Amino acid sequence: MNEPQREPVPGGAEPRLLVFLHVPLKQRAFQGQLQAALPGVSVSAVGRPADFERGLEDRPDAVLTLPIVLAAHHLAATLQGLHKGAADEPYVLAGVDAAPDPARVVTVGVIDSLGRDGMAAFVTNLLGAHPKIERVTKVEDLLPLLQLQRVEAIVLPARLLEEVAAPSRLSLVARPLAPKVGLPAVASLGGGGGPIVQAVRRLPGSVTGELGVNEWR
Amino acid sequence: MALSRRWFLATVPLAGLGACSSSRPLVRGGAGPLEVASSKAAGAAKGMILVAMPETVQTREVWTGLRDELARDYDLVAVRIEGPEAVADLAAAMARYQPNGVVLMNNPTVAAYRAYQQQCGQQRFPPAVVVMTSFFDGHLPQLVTATGISYEIPLITVVTNLRQVISSPVEKVGVIVRPSLRGFVQRQAALAAREKVQVIEQPVSASPNSSEIKWALRRLKHHIDALWILNDDRLLTPRLIVDGWLPGLNERPYYATIVGAAALVSPHQSFGTFAVLPDHTALGVQAAGMLFDLADNRWELPAGAPVQLPVSTTTTVDLVQVRERFSLRADGLQHVDRIVE
Repeated sequence: MNEPQREPVPGGAEPRLLVFLHVPLKQRAFQGQLQAALPGVSVSAVGRPADFERGLEDRPDAVLTLPIVLAAHHLAATLQGLHKGAADEPYVLAGVDAAPDPARVVTVGVIDSLGRDGMAAFVTNLLGAHPKIERVTKVEDLLPLLQLQRVEAIVLPARLLEEVAAPSRLSLVARPLAPKVGLPAVASLGGGGGPIVQAVRRLPGSVTGELGVNEWR
Repeated sequence: MALSRRWFLATVPLAGLGACSSSRPLVRGGAGPLEVASSKAAGAAKGMILVAMPETVQTREVWTGLRDELARDYDLVAVRIEGPEAVADLAAAMARYQPNGVVLMNNPTVAAYRAYQQQCGQQRFPPAVVVMTSFFDGHLPQLVTATGISYEIPLITVVTNLRQVISSPVEKVGVIVRPSLRGFVQRQAALAAREKVQVIEQPVSASPNSSEIKWALRRLKHHIDALWILNDDRLLTPRLIVDGWLPGLNERPYYATIVGAAALVSPHQSFGTFAVLPDHTALGVQAAGMLFDLADNRWELPAGAPVQLPVSTTTTVDLVQVRERFSLRADGLQHVDRIVE
């Protein structure tokens, strides 16, 4: 196996990458995977909007997150993740035993990327309705919302449905949603951003697959 | 003699919610409640929320979750409530801050708030959200205007976590239970049935000895895939652990044991295989969601507002024990927060 090339960094300090993405593995494991695949880059992975905001205050050289999060913080993507040539991906509304009706669902669970108000707008845009929203900060927490009957349905990227359902004996049934959501992107923010962008371009497929990405543009 | 601020606050009549109208002063003398953290709303505050808590790593994490969610819209203040002055400090804090909503963390704080309410007599109280309180799943602990989140992780969640880590099936779960907790176990079993989990109860007496624990383990072990060990202080005394649990658990056939305290997972003793614990920061976020709902309801607690179950957990695994006795799923360790080896 080829070792990833170490990128020279201006000034000698390791450039810092702040990652705010939700993947179907623990943050400890995700950060470890990214750190191993990005030698010479200091990686910090967070899972909550408030932690991302605090991370931004520490002036990282680049951030890797969803375009909707970049937009909410008035940041521009330098490098866009793609899957089969598309920069966005389908989402689904999933419930137990029957596909939920987006127009009638009263409570939905969703992974929190934007905080209370931002997620309300996000879900409204996806469903065309205004259900009560229960936000969680980990992919794995979507299933308990259904198991404990806290919500009628969950909103998530279609690619994560199988992972969420895997440990359960519940029968999850999904309804595709028409609007698509942008795939992860990198925004370069500081002097070390350029080398980070180049390093992210070379991430192995085993890591980018967790992000729903198979190439970068 | 100058009056102390605390005595003053406790004896001046206050009309709003949170001020006790008892004619009997609840507090006198002393320095008053210690404010351990606070946060002011970014703009005009939509209300004041008082957080009553002891100072521990876990309560600080809950506070972080609360603050991150609520601080933009609400003024928040956390006061330290512990020790013999707990009731007096709570009374002083309620009078001083006149909160719209209250968060109570842990059993002694809830006990102090209950005493405060009883001393106040019949009156209206702001809604309270209780967290970090043991076996608070189906009933309110004699509080007025209170709801909350139970501290015990639902069995259904525990089993789901275990299924992500070990490859053997987890369908039959045994539990040793004293009479006082059978109701709790039966409610958990009903919920877990949704995930096709069968709970096999082994009742023991109210004060079991080591022999009874060993007997109960032997009765269970040929019929279960995993053992769920309740966080029951009466079952987990040092003596029972050493003389009852450990000898029983280390007899073949082995099965995974799930505990509710990280300290019970150790590579030096094959006691807990997995600990599934609340994610305390997420618990704060969940409690904040309840406070948002209360605020939307004009700080009125809806009749029959249910106690919630905790949604988010962390998992600790004894990797030495797992490797010796069970087989891990290929990606099992990617679903574990903390590995002990």
